[in-house]
Amino acid sequence: MERLRNAVVNFTWLAAPFVLLAAIWEAVAYAEVFPQKLFPTLQTVAVTFWELLVSGIIWTNTEGTLLRLVLGFLLAAIVGVTVGILMGRFRVIEDILLPAVTFGYPIPGLAYAPLFVLWFGLGDIPAVLLVGVASCFIIIVNSWKGVKAVKPVWLRAAQVMGAGERQIFWKVMIPGALPYILTGLRLGLAQAWRILVAVEMLMSVEKGLGWMIFGAQQFLNTDVMLSGIAVIGLVGVLLEKQVFERLERYTVVRWGMLTA
Amino acid sequence: MIVVWEVFARSGLFSEALTPPLTRIAKTAWQMMLDGRMEKNAAFTLGRVLLGLLCACLIGIPVGMLMGRLPKVERLLLPLLSVLMPIPSLAWVPLFVLWFGIGETTTFVVVVYAATFPVVFNVWTGVRAVNPLWTRAAMSMGANQRQLFRKVVLPGASPYVITAIRLAFGRAWIAAIGGELLASPVYGLGRVIFDAKEFLNSDVMMASLIAIGVIGLVFERVVFQVLEQRTVGRWGMVAMARR
Repeated sequence: MERLRNAVVNFTWLAAPFVLLAAIWEAVAYAEVFPQKLFPTLQTVAVTFWELLVSGIIWTNTEGTLLRLVLGFLLAAIVGVTVGILMGRFRVIEDILLPAVTFGYPIPGLAYAPLFVLWFGLGDIPAVLLVGVASCFIIIVNSWKGVKAVKPVWLRAAQVMGAGERQIFWKVMIPGALPYILTGLRLGLAQAWRILVAVEMLMSVEKGLGWMIFGAQQFLNTDVMLSGIAVIGLVGVLLEKQVFERLERYTVVRWGMLTA
Repeated sequence: MIVVWEVFARSGLFSEALTPPLTRIAKTAWQMMLDGRMEKNAAFTLGRVLLGLLCACLIGIPVGMLMGRLPKVERLLLPLLSVLMPIPSLAWVPLFVLWFGIGETTTFVVVVYAATFPVVFNVWTGVRAVNPLWTRAAMSMGANQRQLFRKVVLPGASPYVITAIRLAFGRAWIAAIGGELLASPVYGLGRVIFDAKEFLNSDVMMASLIAIGVIGLVFERVVFQVLEQRTVGRWGMVAMARR
C-alpha cells in the first residue's frame, strides 16, 4: 500500500510539469493569441502526429536524419581521434595544426554551410561533410588533451619495464587518454546532433526531420512542425540516455577511471 | 596550412570564384572593414549574442539556483528541462518564424532559447556541488538561510556559474549565426555569408568566416579568461573550476 502510494505520488510529480505546460499551451491556443493555424491545439498536433506515424512519414524522415548523423559522426570521430592523437604524440604535427585547430574551433560549423553548398552542391554528401567538420574540432581538442594528460610516470614506468614504442602507445597512451577521447566523442555527437537539423534545412536534403520541419513551414503546417520537433526531442533524449551513458558505463567507469 | 590553401586555390581544381586565394580574401576583408560593413554586421551579431546571453542569465541563474536549493522546484522543472534540452534550438527556427515573423525577434528568441538551458543546467549542478560540509559548518555557526545563500552557496557555485556563461556563450554564438541564416534579419555576419552565396562572392564569405572565428577566439581566450581570473581565480577556487 505504501509503495503504491509512493508510486502514485512519484507519477504525479513527474506528470505535473507536463500537465501544467499542456494547460498553458491549450490556454494560449484557445485564446488565439496567435492565429489557430499557427498555434494549433495539442489535439490537432496529436492527431497529425498519429497520422504521420501511421503513414510512415516520420519513420523515413527519422531514418534519413539518423543515417546522416551516424555517417557525419563517424567521419568526425575517425578524423578527430586520429588527428588528436597524432597531435598529442608528435611535436611537429602539433606545431603545424594547433593554430588551425584553435582558430577553427570557435567558428560555428553552421557558418560554413553556404560555403559548402557552393563547393559541394546541395544534398546528402555536403550535409554529412558539414556535420563531420562541425563536430570534429571538439573531438580533436579532447583527444589531444587526453594524450597530453597521460601521466609521464606511467610512460616512464612502462619504458623502464622494457616496453617498446608500440606497446607504450597501445597499452599506456591509448587507455590513459580514453576518458578524454570518450568525452570528446560524447561532446562531438551532441554537437553533430545540434547542428544536423539546421544543416538539413539549409541543404535541402531529400528526407530528414529538419527538412520536414522546414518544408512544413512553407504550407503553414505547424502541427507537422511540432510533431517533427517532438520526434527530435525524443531522439535527443534517447541518444543522451541510451548511447552516451551506456558507453561511459561500459568503458571508463568499469575501468575505474571515473565514478558514475 | 596557408601554403596548402594557396596551392589548392590557384591550382584551379575548383574555379577561382569558389576558392579565392588568400590575397583576395585579405583584400576583401580590408575593404569590408574600411567601408564599415564588417564592423556593422559584426556589431549586430555580437550585440544579439550578448543581449541574448544577458536575458538567458537573468532567467537561467535564478531558476538554476531555485532548482538547486528547493527540491520541489527541482522536481517540477527537471522533467521539463530534460525533455526540452536535447531539442536543438535551431529546430524551432521555422516555427518561431511563423510566430514572430522573420527578422530580429525570431533570431533573438532563438539565441535566448539556446543559451538558457546550459545556464540553468550548470547553475543547478553548481549549487548541488557546493560542499555540504561548508553549508553545515555555516549553519552550526548560526548562519540563517539568507546568509547561507549569499555567503556560502553563491560563492561556492560561482565556478559553475562562470562555466555556465561560457558554455552559453558558445551556444548563443552558434544559434545567432544559424538564426541569421534561417530567419534573415537585416544585419549580421550570418546574413552576410548567406547573401554572398547568392552572388558567388566566396571571398566575402571567407572574410566573414574569419571575422566570426576571430570574435569567437577573442571571447573564449580573452574575455572569459579574464573573467575567470578576476573572480573564481582570485578567490582561489580555480582548481575546483578546472576539474
